[in-house]
Amino acid sequence: MGADAAVRCEALIKTFGPTRALDGLDLDVRVGEVHGFLGPNGAGKTVTMRILLGLLRGDGGRATLLGGDPWADAVALHRRLAYVPGDTNLWPNLTGGEIIDLLGNLRGGLDETRRAELIDRFDLDPRKKARAYSKGNRQKVALVAALASRAELLILDEPTAGLDPLMEAVFQDCVADARAEGRTTLLSSHILAEVEKVCDRVTIIRKGRTVRSGSLEELRVLARTTISVQVAHDGMEIAGWPGVFDVRRDGVRVSFEVDQPAVGAVVERLAALGIVALESHPPTLEELFLRQYDAELAEAGVHQ
Amino acid sequence: MTGTTLVGTGRLVRLILRRDRVRLPLWVAGLIGLMAVSASQVQALYDTPAKIIGYTSTMRDNPALVIFAGPGYGFDDPGVGVILVNETSLWMALGCALMSVFLVNRHTRAEEESERADLLRSTVVGRHATISAALIVALMANVVVTASTTVLTTAVGYGFAGSLALCGSFGMVGVAFAAVTAVAAQLASTGRAALGLGAALAGLAFIARGIGDISTSWLAWLSWSSPFGWAIGVRAFAGERWWAIALLAAFSLAVTAAAFELSVRRDLGSGMLTQRAGPARAPRWSTTPLGLAFRLQRGALLGWTVGVFVTAAVYGSVGNQIEQMLEDNPQLKDYFAALQGASITDVYLSTALRMMAMLVMGFSLSSVLRNRSEETAGYAESMLATATSRWWWVGSHLVVTVAGTVVVLAASGLGVGLGYALVIGDAAQVPRMLGASLALLPALLVVIGLAVLLFGWLPRATVAVWGALAAVVVIGIFGDVLRLPGWVRDLSPLQHVPALPARPWQTLPIAVLGAAAVVLTAAGLVGFRRRDLTGA
Ligand SMILES: Nc1ncnc2c1ncn2[C@@H]1O[C@H](COP(=O)(O)OP(=O)(O)OP(=O)(O)O)[C@@H](O)[C@H]1O
Ligand SMILES: [Mg+2]
Repeated sequence: MGADAAVRCEALIKTFGPTRALDGLDLDVRVGEVHGFLGPNGAGKTVTMRILLGLLRGDGGRATLLGGDPWADAVALHRRLAYVPGDTNLWPNLTGGEIIDLLGNLRGGLDETRRAELIDRFDLDPRKKARAYSKGNRQKVALVAALASRAELLILDEPTAGLDPLMEAVFQDCVADARAEGRTTLLSSHILAEVEKVCDRVTIIRKGRTVRSGSLEELRVLARTTISVQVAHDGMEIAGWPGVFDVRRDGVRVSFEVDQPAVGAVVERLAALGIVALESHPPTLEELFLRQYDAELAEAGVHQ
Repeated sequence: MTGTTLVGTGRLVRLILRRDRVRLPLWVAGLIGLMAVSASQVQALYDTPAKIIGYTSTMRDNPALVIFAGPGYGFDDPGVGVILVNETSLWMALGCALMSVFLVNRHTRAEEESERADLLRSTVVGRHATISAALIVALMANVVVTASTTVLTTAVGYGFAGSLALCGSFGMVGVAFAAVTAVAAQLASTGRAALGLGAALAGLAFIARGIGDISTSWLAWLSWSSPFGWAIGVRAFAGERWWAIALLAAFSLAVTAAAFELSVRRDLGSGMLTQRAGPARAPRWSTTPLGLAFRLQRGALLGWTVGVFVTAAVYGSVGNQIEQMLEDNPQLKDYFAALQGASITDVYLSTALRMMAMLVMGFSLSSVLRNRSEETAGYAESMLATATSRWWWVGSHLVVTVAGTVVVLAASGLGVGLGYALVIGDAAQVPRMLGASLALLPALLVVIGLAVLLFGWLPRATVAVWGALAAVVVIGIFGDVLRLPGWVRDLSPLQHVPALPARPWQTLPIAVLGAAAVVLTAAGLVGFRRRDLTGA
């Protein structure tokens, strides 16, 4: 197991004075996968990544990165990874091209053909000074610098913040390419459609703790399928069935949610009622995500 | 300028006062305290007419002293007030000017570099509100300094009119340089460059006044080219010429109007000099931590080297006038007696080198603080996520700081030496002054070490090291006037370096300073290796 873990955090703890930013966080990223790292604002995603980079020092628990200690072996590990920070701050008086070269060389060299190709794909003008770039273009500089490296692990903190949809698609292609080459990616993001497209597995955290982790299929099992059905008669008796929630009348139809394991039994019983029309869709990541936060929303006083 | 361009100024003023609630009171209280203590010490020191005459006859027509203190208006019929003017006026004016330069730049050009400026402008804030707010706060600060020092000086026993003229003159110099910085902020392309421009203009005006005052030739007009010259021209305690203060006020207004005018001709975040496209590739040398550190600091290094060299050359080139004065003025005999055999020229030269070293310390600190500003700006995060170790990253900037300090210090020695060598026709003075200036290096390294120590263990307090520079300057320039006790003076590392060339070389204090610098720096590096990266 140890050999195929690119990143492993166990019960990681980090406090800033009275704030407990990480409160026993677990994270497991396998070699070669694209791993989505999700959580509401302030959940601790950036803090976790900064601990993995040896920029912050954990207060408890264990973190392992590419088999090494992120604090003690920082320099050796950093030769093997590339990082795109959440706030892309670039030296205002250097050009984008210079910054790409700088970060590339400091990581131990970059792939020249890939550099040229990425600048082209992202449609980046490398001759502009960083202070003159728009937010999205600054983000592209950081992305090109990271993707053009030969790093075996990419740590990307909200890398598509500020990118237009076209560039987002380019980014998704690049991540897919990286995976095809056998590279590992840890990707934090608030754009769930993107995570759904590119990630093999995800970890959802909340308030510094891991609440869910697994492949998208595994997570779907934990969530509910939405069914909208028209049956021969009224149909409101569905509300009493086990595993069924949130039954609503929608004109002639009845909509409700079903726990994943109960789906088979529910469909059988519906068939017995005489189905006129039926639509079902599996839970989107968004629904999954929102459900994980229900508790938090309730705490914050938001009622659905 | 219609009313709407100023909308929101009041709110911005409150915001600046809140953001600078520690910094600004420190500046203001420091300046007031310095003046108040100087006033009472001068009063106590020169308590008889004989002592006052003794002072003025030593000072009078001595170009070395004129250049650092002023031409001595009122020395023909002196009261204690003219001594106070001679001891404090120029330095207080320089203090007020620097306070204004830092304040105005911080809240105009430097602020634009953060995203806050856009955020602010998107709220209801008029086009001129930012500049107006910064200038209003600068005006308030200088008015508080003027009012408080006037009251305190009067309270100690000086005449009210003279006190008001003296304190008003240096306060107005502060206001004038607030306006000058507002213009610099429009011209420069970065906050750092604007700060450099504002400070350089203040330094240039300071030197120009000095050259003008010691010149009997056509250069004498230089005194009147400089706000510092106008401040001295107020002639406090010597038949006040109030119109000179009005001249300062008119100058400030005109320059402010220019700043407003320029500000509407450029975009937020850019200077008047627009940026051209740069290179698409980085030269190989600049993609190492050391190369980057040098690249980021070379502009500042060049500016400081040139500025310090020119200043030093000016001070060196008046060295010969001291010899001449020695022949003309037998009254100085007493003064020499106190020098224990050293020649007055050498005493002057060693004083000039020390003053230069304080200036160089300004470079050293702004350079060593680069580590901290790279960290708060988030650039350190990008660097340290690469295969750059923490030692190597801090070390690179430190190498640039130390090498830069040697260069700027050498420029001061070469400047004084060259200036002096040219006027007396003796090339041997160049290596002599160069050596004497470099002997001050360990003292500068101690202060750099202190900055590294703070950076390693108390990163958010790193800027407090400017306080150490303030202490070194107060001890060095006002030590005698304030009659500071010996142990306080001993806190300044500069005090421990033998005053070459007036005194013989001593190895021990220099070695001790060097060792202290190494220990402080090493301790700071250990602290940084162990700590989290932090924001502002
Ligand atoms: N240097 C710091 N000092 C104090 N508190 C901090 C510091 N850095 C992070 N925190 C706190 O730690 C918690 C986690 O922050 P973090 O930046 O990791 O959130 P995040 O999951 O990345 O959020 P977002 O989605 O908004 O980027 C927050 O409560 C934050 O306020
Ligand atoms: Mg974050």
